[in-house]
Amino acid sequence: MKLKYLKILILLLISTGLKAQNMVGEVEYRYRIFYDKIYSSLPHITEQEKDRILLTWSNSDGYSTRMKLQFWPEKSLYTFGEPYQVQSYSWQVEDYFIENNLENQTYLKYMDQMGKTYIVRDSLNAPKWRVMNEIRDILGHMCMKAVYEDSIKGQKITAWFASDIPVPTGPEEQFGLPGLILAYDINDGMLIVEAEKITFGEPEEIITLPKKMKGREVSGAKYQDMVQEFIQSSIESRRAWMWEIRY
Amino acid sequence: MKLLISCLLLAFFTFASYAQSKLTIRGVVKDTTNMPLDYTSVLLLSPKDSALVEYTLTNKDGEYQFKNVDRQPLLIKATYTGYLPKQKELVLPETGDLEVDEIQLMPILQELYEVVVKAAKAPLMMRGDTLEYDASKFKVPPGATLEELLRKLPGIQIDKDGNIVAQGEQVQKVTVDGRRFFGGNTKMATQNLNAESVSKLQLFDDKSEQSKLTGVEDGVKEKTLNVELKEEARKGGFGKLSAALGTDGRWSANASFNKFDKVNQFSVIGYGNNVNQSGLSWDDLQEFKGSSAFQFGDTGDFGFNGSGGNYISFSGGDNEESFEIPFNNLNSGFSNNQAIGVNYNYLKDKKDFNSNYFYSRSDQALESFNSRTNFLQDNTSFTSTDQSSQNNMAGHHRVNLRFQNELDSANTITINAKGRLSSLTTYLASHQELIRSSTEQSQMDRNNQSDKWSGAFQGTAIYRHKFKKNGRNFAASISDTYSKADQNGIQKSVVDLMNSTDPNTYFRNLDQLNQALNGSNLIKSSLLFVEPIKKIFFWETFYNFSQSQSETDRQVYDVESSDTRELNPDLSRFFDNTITYNRFGSSIRYANKGSNLSVGLAASNYRLNGQFSVVKDSEVLGRVNKSYLNFTPNVIYSKTMKGNKRINAGYTMGVNPPNITDLQPFKDISNPLYIREGNPDLEPEVSHSFNTGYSMYDPATFINLRFSFNSTFYQNQVVQNQTIDPETFVTTYKAGNVSGGQRYNPYLGFGFPIVKTKATAYLSANPSYSKSLSLINSVETETNTFSHNFGVNLNLTPLEWLSIYTGSSYRLSKTKYEQNPSQNQDIINWSAYSNMNITFPKDFYLDVKFNYNRYENESFGFDQEVPILNAFVYKLLGKAKKWEVRLSAYDIFKQNQTISQNAGQNYVSTGRIETLSRYFLLGVTYNLRGVEVKKYR
Repeated sequence: MKLKYLKILILLLISTGLKAQNMVGEVEYRYRIFYDKIYSSLPHITEQEKDRILLTWSNSDGYSTRMKLQFWPEKSLYTFGEPYQVQSYSWQVEDYFIENNLENQTYLKYMDQMGKTYIVRDSLNAPKWRVMNEIRDILGHMCMKAVYEDSIKGQKITAWFASDIPVPTGPEEQFGLPGLILAYDINDGMLIVEAEKITFGEPEEIITLPKKMKGREVSGAKYQDMVQEFIQSSIESRRAWMWEIRY
Repeated sequence: MKLLISCLLLAFFTFASYAQSKLTIRGVVKDTTNMPLDYTSVLLLSPKDSALVEYTLTNKDGEYQFKNVDRQPLLIKATYTGYLPKQKELVLPETGDLEVDEIQLMPILQELYEVVVKAAKAPLMMRGDTLEYDASKFKVPPGATLEELLRKLPGIQIDKDGNIVAQGEQVQKVTVDGRRFFGGNTKMATQNLNAESVSKLQLFDDKSEQSKLTGVEDGVKEKTLNVELKEEARKGGFGKLSAALGTDGRWSANASFNKFDKVNQFSVIGYGNNVNQSGLSWDDLQEFKGSSAFQFGDTGDFGFNGSGGNYISFSGGDNEESFEIPFNNLNSGFSNNQAIGVNYNYLKDKKDFNSNYFYSRSDQALESFNSRTNFLQDNTSFTSTDQSSQNNMAGHHRVNLRFQNELDSANTITINAKGRLSSLTTYLASHQELIRSSTEQSQMDRNNQSDKWSGAFQGTAIYRHKFKKNGRNFAASISDTYSKADQNGIQKSVVDLMNSTDPNTYFRNLDQLNQALNGSNLIKSSLLFVEPIKKIFFWETFYNFSQSQSETDRQVYDVESSDTRELNPDLSRFFDNTITYNRFGSSIRYANKGSNLSVGLAASNYRLNGQFSVVKDSEVLGRVNKSYLNFTPNVIYSKTMKGNKRINAGYTMGVNPPNITDLQPFKDISNPLYIREGNPDLEPEVSHSFNTGYSMYDPATFINLRFSFNSTFYQNQVVQNQTIDPETFVTTYKAGNVSGGQRYNPYLGFGFPIVKTKATAYLSANPSYSKSLSLINSVETETNTFSHNFGVNLNLTPLEWLSIYTGSSYRLSKTKYEQNPSQNQDIINWSAYSNMNITFPKDFYLDVKFNYNRYENESFGFDQEVPILNAFVYKLLGKAKKWEVRLSAYDIFKQNQTISQNAGQNYVSTGRIETLSRYFLLGVTYNLRGVEVKKYR
């Protein structure tokens, strides 16, 4: 009996110790996109073409980018992480920054999309998350499943949030769950974003937005309209929109 | 008034109910030992769709509180690490706040959490009392049964009789996808189901069969294991079969079949026709080769190259020298073609094996007429014409094997083996005439025949290593290409020289047999080392070695009388050549934020060694021993900018050693009218190329712009100097070096939508200028060619059922002869195309393709139009649209012929080949696409 109480005491100590720490930290995510699956799902692709894509350029590992999220109880910052492979040719010029202010419930996105640079500011409106009865372990954190559907991009989002990290933010444009989103996927594996490393405590090097942000300032609603129109006209012209918009 | 009152009333009631609808919900969360759980997430969900309404955390006493909650049906859910999340429906009081009963969280069975959730990374799903998890996450050997899988799972034991014991209780029944399996015999299920086909396992207490039947709860629970099977993974197969018959005995048939799953890809393909198609279509080629359709970087050549950058080119001809499967190839003339191929790919883990065999044959008849006017120094010219009839029969066997293995994350090897075996039989009958004036002309009739067998093999091995330091790489490659060709031929020519009085002329009647046995071997090896410096600088060092050895044994016999033949020592030659190439180079590369600058220098050495004699082992008649050392700088810059803009610029220096045949002091008179002579004093040709470019694309407006400017300056350009015998017009070519040749090539392209998504246009201009120099009869002759190229393309998709792709291009090529301006040429090539596609109701389609080409050369009065109209009507049949009936009409105007026009340094030529014209085909296609993927039951 004594032993049991001791155990619980230790457990309590650990969990209370974790508490303060769990609110601040940095997460490295692997952003894996499967262009073959996405391309195959475009409405103008015939059955025969789907098979051809699957045969000739399907890539079971997807295409990986490392992303980085830093979080505090009042805000989170998100951008590219260190590349996996140091390459002697540089393609990357796009900026992609997301700052969620959890206190004021606002966000700022500075990103190159649809061939232009946009600065999008608006208030955080969480999507209609549905919390499911499923749990999964990600890097030692028990995560619960939550889903929602994005009608503009035609995406079914499945996210896994860690309730022991009670910061309601996440990677990319995902947020609004009772815990940090450690993983999510779109349309059953067209995009898989998964945490690879979590470091609690104040990050060593805090993500800074460029001092001079050059780009078109738009509101979130206006930006959504533009995305919708872009996807619409791309589909009509039988072009693949996902090359130009972050999936 | 009434309205106002009812409005007011409504407002009042709304307000009242609003005030009433808000409530506070509070409660406490504890574990099964009654310890309060702090820091627990408590969620309010909507019961109809589990939508998240609100959430909070418990305090240190395990208490939570939701204030101002809308009065609506709610679920409450609590979750804490290591515990099973628990949810229950809330019963809201009519008025006032809600005190929720204590929520007790059950710890997850530790073994279950450690083994399933943590170690196997399998999500755990709760459905009421049922716990379910993803069995595919547990590794079992291939072919293992479900029983073996179950043994691995926590909380489940298999007793010695094969019974399943879960959580201490025996499992009464096993269901598969919710259905009873073989009358509920659990062993039957566990020992017969393949573990690899299982996706999820569910363990729960089911009602007894009795109570299910009667609907009366008897309290008896049966421990049930439900096995959910996988959707059969990534398996597919498709096939196509089409056959068409037509007018004048025209026919065409194609068949292909593919079967593939995650690991294996198998395909067969075949075609036959007499409508000039001598290759696969691009799509068919991709489907045939599957995962090996796009394999780049298999050449094993490292370091910058002379032409600046690494290009990947696809060309589809059925070239004898090529190991590649022919595609998109339309023959000239009339031809009969067949092919068959088999491909198999195996892809597993980090191993990748590709193999294919392809046999193609073609029987081609060509009737051609060529005319060529040569300009002489004294402002005069002569014209030669050649009317020939040729028959080529070619067959090629090709085998391609490729194996790539990623041994670990640091080491990769790639092995490529290619082989081909070809046979080629050619008959040529030609009548040539040389005309200067009506009184001065000569004629020759040739009759040649040759049989050739050739084979080649190429093996390449590439090893790549990544060092621990990110960005530090090493690569090494070795390859060997061996080829052998055996040719036998008969050459006969009868010459009628009207003006020649020289008895020693080469221009004479021939009746010869020739044999040639050629062999070559090329060994190549390359090394590359890349060292990163501060992640943005890269120091690349490379070494290339190659040695090619070639042996040519050509024996020519004069047929003196009907049966005797005698070796012709003037024409018989044995060559033994070796070219050794060594290059060592280094470059520094800067790569950061889209900017890339590479500056490099290489030292290259070519050693050319050759000797020749009349026959093998006879007296050596001449030797070549040359060594050339060059330093080649290389600068390449590119910058990718935001908004899909890119600029690039570069300078490359290329060095090409002379051909050994051009170096040998030897006369080749196989064509008595055009004699080739070697020059042992040749220097390597050096080219300096400068290129710049800009491109942009705006994905929002679809506007794109491309601009480029390339120029090349030649030093010691190897040109064919010509001496024309004023008596016989026999031209002797002798290779020589000349400096001063230039080439400029600007390009401008602009694409934009006229009506977005309905009509887009692309305009392009591509003028070019080139200056070339050569010696004509020992006089330096300069030829300038200006070419004006304009193109316009329109894509119109105005309606759902109609699309039109149309365009036109115009090229005016002005050739100016510095020494002979009266012979200046203006050659015009004008072309237009229009493709229309109409979709009719009931799966009827119409495609119309119109191509118009016009060839003009005013100074010769040459003006030829070739309008080609093709039309296709087809209908899809059947529910799944697997059948198609198609009527095709090719070249409705019966105008097809192949035309070529050329203006060179001192000549102008035109050629035409009679080519398959109007024919009709009626064909049927069956596309088997979507062979049923059967679920394993």
